[in-house]
Amino acid sequence: MKKTYWEEELEGFDRENLEKLQVERLNQTLENAMRSPYYNKLFKAKGIKPGTIKSVAQIRDLPFTTKQDLRDNFPYGFLTLPKKEIIRLHSSSGTTGNPTVIFHNRHDINSWANLMARSLFCAGVRDTDVFQNISGYGLFTGGLGFQYGIERLGCLSIPAGAGNSLRQIKLMQDYGTTVAHAIPSYLGRLYEVFEQQNLDPKKDTLLHTLVIGAEPHTEEQRLRIEEMFGVKAYNSYGLSEMNGPGVAFECTYQEGLHIWEDAFIIEIVNPDTLEPVPDGEYGELVMTTLDREAMPIIRYRTRDITRIIPGECKCGRVHRRIDRIVGRSDDMFIIKGCNVFPMQIEGVLLKIPEVNTNYLINLETINGIDEMVVNVEVNKEWFTGDIRKLDLLTKQITAKIRDEVLAKPIVKLVEPGTIPQAEGKAVRVKDKRNNGLK
Amino acid sequence: MAYEISIFLENKIGHFERITRILKEGEINIRSMSINDTANGWGILNLLVNNPEKAYNVLEEAGVSVALKEIIALEMKDQAGGLNELLLKVAQAKVNFNNANGRIIEATKSAILILDVPDIDESKKKLIDHGIQFIDDNTIYGN
Repeated sequence: MKKTYWEEELEGFDRENLEKLQVERLNQTLENAMRSPYYNKLFKAKGIKPGTIKSVAQIRDLPFTTKQDLRDNFPYGFLTLPKKEIIRLHSSSGTTGNPTVIFHNRHDINSWANLMARSLFCAGVRDTDVFQNISGYGLFTGGLGFQYGIERLGCLSIPAGAGNSLRQIKLMQDYGTTVAHAIPSYLGRLYEVFEQQNLDPKKDTLLHTLVIGAEPHTEEQRLRIEEMFGVKAYNSYGLSEMNGPGVAFECTYQEGLHIWEDAFIIEIVNPDTLEPVPDGEYGELVMTTLDREAMPIIRYRTRDITRIIPGECKCGRVHRRIDRIVGRSDDMFIIKGCNVFPMQIEGVLLKIPEVNTNYLINLETINGIDEMVVNVEVNKEWFTGDIRKLDLLTKQITAKIRDEVLAKPIVKLVEPGTIPQAEGKAVRVKDKRNNGLK
Repeated sequence: MAYEISIFLENKIGHFERITRILKEGEINIRSMSINDTANGWGILNLLVNNPEKAYNVLEEAGVSVALKEIIALEMKDQAGGLNELLLKVAQAKVNFNNANGRIIEATKSAILILDVPDIDESKKKLIDHGIQFIDDNTIYGN
């Protein structure tokens, strides 16, 4: 019999059975969470007792968890198990302040790999495919997260890593890559290199599917990618706090991303009132892990703005669909696949006496590549008229920002007084990108 | 000691004009100029003016990133081979420079070579040791 779902039961549930499983797993999750120093203290203070949840709606009685909570309890405050049981961590970038770190035991890694495999299967990827993962390996979850899922699914995996377009093209041609995963803004660049080599990805590769994620993009941009490469392009959503990729994925109908509700309870709330919004309305996505042992997180405020797409999907999966991410309820932005908060840039500039902390970040598409252009004012007092010193300063700032946020910026020194002074909520980021796609 | 003024200038319409307007209002006369351009979208404007301290002050007050930079001014003949003759001496003194520009002095039928050197004290010493004369400040500033 031809398999339609990766897991017939978990994907083909009716809602009643799904919610039964959610309640069961939520109680188990609360029991696990009680073993972490953070939740133990919090639950005791609030009188929350595991095993008392009777319906999914009761999740609203539980407290939210924020990124700040994770940072404040760095590194082990959310850990429920002795370190001996932990087999991997993933962490956000950053050298200033505490990073966000997520720990996994063997069960968590297995469960994540399974969700990732389910996601890819749902987008039509099969064990006969050759899968090239054009994604940074290391602390960034897009590398290993996909890798484990690709292997679980049984594809031939090519852990290509990010960048080096010529090599990416060679790998595609040498091994007959049929599926690739990359950030959408990179694919515009990759296509240009195909063109420079007088190659047409439609004729000169076997690609039939691209998985695009880690960066918000519009439907137009997806269609453009599909046209350039002659493929189907599927949207992938994830965040490291909820493992990474494999949280929500498009099925072959491409009408929203199925979010795996056996592994997460999802809520959409008004970011100001924190009250739930009706299905179909935009709000902040809040997520609770249901299948994570080492580091369960309750009602995590993702800050991502999306909505639940009402109605059932033609594919028949019970898991509801979220729409593409349309924005953030904080000031984070994503460039070159890296999550960046303007505060991180400010933190770097604060430590460089030659410049002041008036800065402006322009996100621009330059020669088909999305760039972060950081405009910085040179302090008048420091200026000596030596051009070499200024060149060196530019290089220093570039390196320091890159170390902090992992994405290399273009640093532009500007005359003092030309960037508007910070008053209240100053606009620090101007997004003028077209996501590398003309 | 002679100075030129260095100004941090963005490569944008009207920015250079603004500098010259401030100098005009300060009744500063520009004797010679050079601009270092870089690919970064900014450059350094070097100006030799009749009154560097005053120029510095008016620009500073207007909020411009400006610096007074000590320079070396050497005399050369305003004729074929004049610059070559001077540079030969400078080379013999083993003085290297980052930037240079020149101007003619009508009155004496001579010319000035203005050097911006990495280490001013050491360079001056080397030139003096090789018997190279500096031009007095008033001649440099054209006063």
